[in-house]
Amino acid sequence: MPATVVGVRQVTDKEKLFTISLDNGKNIKHRPCQFVIVSISGVGEAPISISSPPTDSGKVIELCVRSVGNLTGAMHRLSVNDKIGIRGPFGNGFPIEKIEGRDILIVAGGLGLAPLRSLIKYVNNKRKRYRRFILLIGAKRPADILFKEEVTKWDEDPGIETHITVDAAEPPWNKNVGVITGLFKYIDIDPLKTVAAIVGPPVMYRFVIRELLAKGIFEGNIFLDLERRMRCGLGKCGHCQINGIYLCQNGPVLSYLEAKKLQEAL
Amino acid sequence: MDVTVEYNDIDRFILALQSRYNVIAPVSKDGRFIFDLIDHPSKVSPKYDSTLLPPVKWIYPNDEALLEFDLKDAAKIKEITESNKQALLFVHPCDVNAINIMDEILAEEPSDVNYLKRRWSTVIIGYECLGPCKENILCFDKSYHIAYSGFDLFFTDIGERYYVQVASSTGKEIIEMIGGLKKAGFSDKTELFRVRDERKMRFKKSIHGNMDMLSHMLKEAYNDEIWNIEEKKCLSCGACNIVCPTCYCFDVVDEICPDMEKGTRYRRWDGCQLHGFCKVATGENFRKTAAERVRHRVFKKEVYLKKRFGRSGCVGCGRCIDHCIANISLIEIFNKVFDRVREGV
Repeated sequence: MPATVVGVRQVTDKEKLFTISLDNGKNIKHRPCQFVIVSISGVGEAPISISSPPTDSGKVIELCVRSVGNLTGAMHRLSVNDKIGIRGPFGNGFPIEKIEGRDILIVAGGLGLAPLRSLIKYVNNKRKRYRRFILLIGAKRPADILFKEEVTKWDEDPGIETHITVDAAEPPWNKNVGVITGLFKYIDIDPLKTVAAIVGPPVMYRFVIRELLAKGIFEGNIFLDLERRMRCGLGKCGHCQINGIYLCQNGPVLSYLEAKKLQEAL
Repeated sequence: MDVTVEYNDIDRFILALQSRYNVIAPVSKDGRFIFDLIDHPSKVSPKYDSTLLPPVKWIYPNDEALLEFDLKDAAKIKEITESNKQALLFVHPCDVNAINIMDEILAEEPSDVNYLKRRWSTVIIGYECLGPCKENILCFDKSYHIAYSGFDLFFTDIGERYYVQVASSTGKEIIEMIGGLKKAGFSDKTELFRVRDERKMRFKKSIHGNMDMLSHMLKEAYNDEIWNIEEKKCLSCGACNIVCPTCYCFDVVDEICPDMEKGTRYRRWDGCQLHGFCKVATGENFRKTAAERVRHRVFKKEVYLKKRFGRSGCVGCGRCIDHCIANISLIEIFNKVFDRVREGV
């Protein structure tokens, strides 16, 4: 589907946030943690998580992109009114209906905040449908924290229990320093009522899951958004396959109960 | 109604077929065989062992154009789905079965339109194997040495003539178009049953174990030493992926014309044995070692596809064994998997 870049914003020194609208004027109906495949003629295609929630005025989607590869590099050279292609949305997305009425615990490491922002904003917009809302955010350095204004706003919101940590920092940083698992000592959760969503660098998952299991959360209530290389989004090209499943179709969101049966998942 | 074709009538059959289809048939090339577009019936070698690439690659070609784009005007995009009326002639049962498996995989929603379009315009004419075509095959172990469906016509050599099973309306049309073929009579049918019956005496089993149990045995052996032994041999060249009749993984690449104005997006074969297959832009590689990749290839065919479609995704053609420069053999791996259980590891 042809689409147009309607906004570009520098988020940190490495990431940009693109606002995209479809040329046919239609709404991309997506769920939190789904992704689209962005296409730039002459460069190729790449899967990008949608950072905006489905509850925002639906005509545009936001994509938060770090320049690391061919396509993301080309995306960083885009400016307003440039044309790109969008396929999707793909993937199962987060089971937002199933978890209504629960305590929501979100663990976002680094770029993991890009897909999770869509879930955070969704839950925040439908705040009454959920009980407690706990947010754990980790980044390498203070300058690497994505969506800083929004994170500050969430931090100040009395309805959200926010804890932020960075791996290393210098003054005037007055929040936590250390890995994200260090934040678990500050939170006291009701394991029977809590649903957790985790996205972060691959190494982060097993440590965070260990903490969550230690707190007594049921394996089926821990949701992971697993990212892999993807090409087609149709469950054919084989790149996103972990053991028997294709993440672009059966994922990218899996519960730990499902993921632990897949030896290649974590 | 089945017919028979005399040996000396086969050229007329192929010529007539050529009038309506691009005929892709086994031809001899440098001492081996390939499936190629033929210009004359004399090029066809009905008696071939196995072809370098499987015939399904004519339905699922490398560098298949998906769309054309214009670099000056990003909105100008033309989708391409090509299809020629083609006939795959003298396809062995293993390859017919492989095409059936590919049909199942690629027609599953969301379906692969490019593949299906080509598949619909392809006629498949099978050719019975009355004995093993070469060494290193495991089609007999998997019962893939017989094709029950997935073809329009099926040739069996019954001595001085071919018995031709007509299996679809397209097949019937072709027979009517060619005309002048004798209906298969009682003696032809008896002869067909006789040669088919003798077939099972010629094939030998390669695997010492119950193939129905293979996927369970493999799952048990997920963390076994076997894979580390194979890793030491594997060069991660991906030859096994390229020659496999049921490998369908692909990459999507953009190529720009030298005029720097137009370009084409292609679907290009990819291989799960290549080092970078699961590597993402941030540098993480989700299947880093050759052991993991070899295991993935075997599991994909024998465990994952079997779970999805109820039958093994490997038809046992043995091409991956023939073309492995490091002598990695599925037969050896499967036997080791069974031996492992027998020895009570």
